[in-house]
Amino acid sequence: MTPESQTPLKPVELLILSMLSAGERHGYGIRQDIIDHTNGAIALEAGNLYRTIRRLEADAIVEESGRRAAADSDDERRRYYRLTPFGKRVLAAELERLRALVRLGEQRRIIAPLAARRA
Amino acid sequence: MSVPGERLVRALLALYPREFRARYAADMLDFYRERVRNDGMLRTWFAAVPDLVANALAERFAWLHHEAECAPVVARMHTRYREEHMSILVQDVRYALRSMRRRPSFTAVVLLTLALGIGANSAIFTVVNATILRPLPFADAARIVDFTHEDPYSSVSEPEFWDYERGVAGLEKLAAYSTPSIVLDGGDGDPLRTYTARVSRDFFDIVGVKPMLGRTFTPDEFSPSTHARVTVLGHRLWVQQFGADPRIIGKTVQITGTPFTVIGVMPAAFTFPDVEASLWTPWRMNPDSLWTRNNHYLRLVGRIAPSSSLAQVRAQVRTLDTRWMHDFPETYSPDKPLTGTVQPIADYLLGPTRPFLLALLGAVGLILLIASVNVANLLLVRGEARRKEVAIRAALGASRSRIMRQLMTESMLFAAFGALLGVAVAWVGTGVLVDLAPGDLPRIDQVSVDLRVVLFTIAITMLTGVAFGLLPALRMRRGDSADALRDGGKTSGHIASGAARRTLVVAEITLAVMILAGAGLLVRSLIQLRAMDLGFDPDGVMTLQVTLPRGKYNDTTAALFIDQLVSRTRSLPGVTSASAVDNLPISGSDNGWSIMIDGVVVKTIAEAPSARPEVVTPEYFRTMQTRMVRGRGFTPLDRAGAPFVAVVSEGLARTLWPGVDPIGHTLKMFGAQSPWTTIVGVVRDVKLRGLQKDIPGTMYFPYAQSGQSAYVTPTSMTLVARTNGDPTALAPQMRRIVRSLDGSAAISRVTPMRAVVGDSIASRRFTTLLLAGFAALALALAGIGIYGVVSYGVSQRTYEIGVRVAMGASAASIARLVMREAAGMTVIGLALGVAGALVADRLIRSMLVDVSAGDPLTLVSVVLLLAVVAATACALPARRAAAVNPTAALRND
Repeated sequence: MTPESQTPLKPVELLILSMLSAGERHGYGIRQDIIDHTNGAIALEAGNLYRTIRRLEADAIVEESGRRAAADSDDERRRYYRLTPFGKRVLAAELERLRALVRLGEQRRIIAPLAARRA
Repeated sequence: MSVPGERLVRALLALYPREFRARYAADMLDFYRERVRNDGMLRTWFAAVPDLVANALAERFAWLHHEAECAPVVARMHTRYREEHMSILVQDVRYALRSMRRRPSFTAVVLLTLALGIGANSAIFTVVNATILRPLPFADAARIVDFTHEDPYSSVSEPEFWDYERGVAGLEKLAAYSTPSIVLDGGDGDPLRTYTARVSRDFFDIVGVKPMLGRTFTPDEFSPSTHARVTVLGHRLWVQQFGADPRIIGKTVQITGTPFTVIGVMPAAFTFPDVEASLWTPWRMNPDSLWTRNNHYLRLVGRIAPSSSLAQVRAQVRTLDTRWMHDFPETYSPDKPLTGTVQPIADYLLGPTRPFLLALLGAVGLILLIASVNVANLLLVRGEARRKEVAIRAALGASRSRIMRQLMTESMLFAAFGALLGVAVAWVGTGVLVDLAPGDLPRIDQVSVDLRVVLFTIAITMLTGVAFGLLPALRMRRGDSADALRDGGKTSGHIASGAARRTLVVAEITLAVMILAGAGLLVRSLIQLRAMDLGFDPDGVMTLQVTLPRGKYNDTTAALFIDQLVSRTRSLPGVTSASAVDNLPISGSDNGWSIMIDGVVVKTIAEAPSARPEVVTPEYFRTMQTRMVRGRGFTPLDRAGAPFVAVVSEGLARTLWPGVDPIGHTLKMFGAQSPWTTIVGVVRDVKLRGLQKDIPGTMYFPYAQSGQSAYVTPTSMTLVARTNGDPTALAPQMRRIVRSLDGSAAISRVTPMRAVVGDSIASRRFTTLLLAGFAALALALAGIGIYGVVSYGVSQRTYEIGVRVAMGASAASIARLVMREAAGMTVIGLALGVAGALVADRLIRSMLVDVSAGDPLTLVSVVLLLAVVAATACALPARRAAAVNPTAALRND
């Protein structure tokens, strides 16, 4: 399976993978990262989040990195997730795809090219 | 550490598929806790509940379709467009909830009606799903076929099986089995009389079911030269007799005195070929010493080859049968053709139950239709009251589709709440159904709610919501707003909507007539069965089956044992007579055997008539109160060594000696060793197998002579005792007598004869009872529907009635006016219903006994009953109309 065969990703998947590219996170941590990144515009709920993780795990894009005790308790252990090497390549492939799209948008003057903006 | 609402989240998590739950439920709970800590309970709930429910459904579907493409529900990820629509939906839902709360009694009636309709459907569907829809416990069941011969052969002989196995190319594999009775010893408690499935080599390969413990038979365990005595236990036997011992493999059990090693245990779902057969043993067929071709006792199960089809297999079987008829004229007579029947295994196993369950499903479907019609009616009536409101909204600029959407939201919401209540009804209902259901309903022990039931309930809920919401919504939309505003939504407009309501009532009456007619026909069938002449009197008779250990008794000692058993039973207090019989009526078999009559020896089976042998001890006919038509019954003098005697049934006498007194004539079982017996008596026909119509001719032989006159002395006999008290009270004493005579004799089927008769019609009684219940529900719903419409009509016409009364109309003529309208609807509904019943009740024809599908008496009773209900339902509004005070009615505007 090639990383390209996994693209295009859904918006949620792309967000989750992008957040995981910074390092491993547990479920609630992913939510917090996304809220921070989108200034609160997108807030994932448990059902949607874990269903997406289930899909990403099934496709070997994301894997469990281990369990650690939750900060405020002694016995609860939570799962942490990270990108697999393959997952990193999928994320890269998706970002490449998006870059091509952005270029197209720039050429057609839908958005101003970065260079033009700087000027 | 737990936070508020955690229990509810756990409950919602239960909606997810098991695999998903196992992996993520703990993390999701953890997620929820953290969320509550940071954002507070209310905000979390508002977002978390829809998310959890929606994703649970999506995940279920994803699992179903093996794809992960499902719309993710992401809070605030909507585009502007979507947001607008969402907020409209929220608005509509809020609005609908408010209007539901405003009219609590209306809402309650609607919800109750829907809950009953949806609940009854889900409950019945749950049972139907478990018994006939769920896949059978076989691998690739669609290719497995049941294979036997039609009457008079009704089973397959060893040489025939041997030839079929080689001659039918379309069958990849073919196995034979029989289910002889055995006595099992070696578990907990007393010796157990049960059945074993003796199966040929490919049996387990064909069904493709793996054992739960251990293994099934290997090919060399079927070799005629092997001495391996091995058995595979059924799950129920393993649990009940061996306490679910996990180390059972390798242990020894005694099967009718022979030690067998347990090599495997099958899973609970696998009960093929028979629920009663509690274990499997290999049947070693020796091709060198096959039984004769006319000894039919096997049933076959086969697997169709991948390259072949059922039709091809049937054609190949037909070709073989035709050839054999020609090749073996001494076995198959031309007027008794050999016909193999090959059917899918599902038809064989579920066939008899299917019509009953489908009839029930059809009936509850009609109930749901009636419920929908009723609710549609109520909504229409209320819609009239809301015309003005809708008109104002339209005038203020609401688009028609917007209004329609709002109304549909309301009906979908009603349906959803109705479904929630319906699930509660179904929960209770399914439990009651399983308790009431007869034991012979296949797989009734496996009834449970699964995904399919959930989907079914959701589907019927949506359908109902659309069905009862659409008509009122369409009607509303069509209304001319200016018109409605002008006359205050009071008089105009309901001529057309009145027609719609009347149509619905007509539909309701039509459906009610159909259900009632079906129920009526089944009730009549049941009554016919009850009144049926059994040929004996089951009341006051207790029965108990005794099986002697094989090898321990010879003909003489067995006769002595049975004789002592019967005479001790006879001396019990309250017992007026006692006897013993080989096969108990009703639950017995009806296999015919070839015989010869009047001293004439015939050479081939094909020329021989057939009759069913039965072995009894003296006083049997007196105990069962089967009337002697001529001659005498058996006495203790008809013992071994005395002249051989027999008693024949009236039916057999009529076939073999038409118009002649059979007493003094002779008959014998086919074969040189069997002695000629002289007929000494004729008895009434007795129902042998269920309450079947045609009773095969029966010949009775005395037990003491049966070793010679009936081939063998039966080692298993059923003790029957007639008492003038309660028959069940005899059971402990009868058991004690058997125990004191021989502790190693197995006791089974300790049942009053009345219960044996009752059990044989248990399925039918169950269906009839349910259908009658549904019919009563339909009748009540139809009555409420008629009342609602007529009563509403009267209230709308108060002004008009006031005018009439003011003009001098009498109270009686006003009542007549109201009644006439209702009568019109009723007559049309009844006529359509009778027509519908004539068509639909054909479907249940196979379940009817001595009643035709268009039975006039049933139809007339149903019509009268509904007419009475309709009259009652409109009598109240009619009275109210007659009592209208013209002054008040006319002033009121």
